[in-house]
Amino acid sequence: MTTTDHNVSSPNVADDAWLDDLLVADGVAQRADYIEDAGFTARVVNALPSAAALPAWRRPFVFALWGAAAVALVLAMPTFFVDLLGTADGLLSLQPFSLAGIGAALAAVMSLTWGAAAWSLRESR
Amino acid sequence: MAEPSGSDAQFIARALVTGDRHAFAELVKRHQSSVRACLRKLSAGDHALADDLAQETFILAWRNLASFRQEARFSTWLYRIATNCWLAHNRKRREELLGDRVDAVADRDDDAMPLLDAMQADHARGTTLKLDLERAMGALSEAERAAIVQCYHNDLTHEEAAYVLDCPVGTVKTHVLRGKQKLKAALAAYAR
Repeated sequence: MTTTDHNVSSPNVADDAWLDDLLVADGVAQRADYIEDAGFTARVVNALPSAAALPAWRRPFVFALWGAAAVALVLAMPTFFVDLLGTADGLLSLQPFSLAGIGAALAAVMSLTWGAAAWSLRESR
Repeated sequence: MAEPSGSDAQFIARALVTGDRHAFAELVKRHQSSVRACLRKLSAGDHALADDLAQETFILAWRNLASFRQEARFSTWLYRIATNCWLAHNRKRREELLGDRVDAVADRDDDAMPLLDAMQADHARGTTLKLDLERAMGALSEAERAAIVQCYHNDLTHEEAAYVLDCPVGTVKTHVLRGKQKLKAALAAYAR
């Protein structure tokens, strides 16, 4: 914040100038006064909770739950899903590209995306 | 040893995507001084408490890194977590005091020493302005102190302070104004 911003709402701007100067100077001194790490970062990193703290069964359980929900949905509306599959098959057979071609294009896009992500996240040495 | 190069955003992405603790450690190293200094101001110079709260702040940041949406600078987001930690600590302390009324009354008697008397005594002993300012800051309400620390000591705009304090910009301005009025009365001896 600039020093001019501080007085925006003060009714006694001139009277407050000394206090503003005092607070600004204290803020500047605080920011210039670097606090040495002295093992602080190491203590924080040691105290970080590990990702493995989550129960091992949680992820497969969630996947199984979603799978069961999907199967239940298909069983509840069989004609809708048969129609949907038929329509999708019709659309795919009409387009000029082969399934293998579409797969290859998707694989290329994915490898480019992940390659770019890996490049941007590479270790800085 | 040279500091690893890279922006905060790169280290955040590495910590998020690969769970890289070294990347997060670099973020801690970069921001520990400002976060600890902010908490020292908020806790009126209690360095041990400030460091405990700073550690809690970074652990919460690690846990909630996925919720950081880059809507503010990473440092501003850390100030927000730090301020919330400090407010939560104060709330907990108040509840503990309420649970033990006898102690609370005793504490209140100690705290009730008039601020101006104490400061006049300090003047007589030649105590520095810095200490007087710290004491006067300690006498402000939580909201006033937090607003002044964000605006003056962390050098945030009123908008950024409003994000940190999770309140409207107008409220921040009001807290700053009220806090300054109290500081003005407490530090009148230093008025030129």
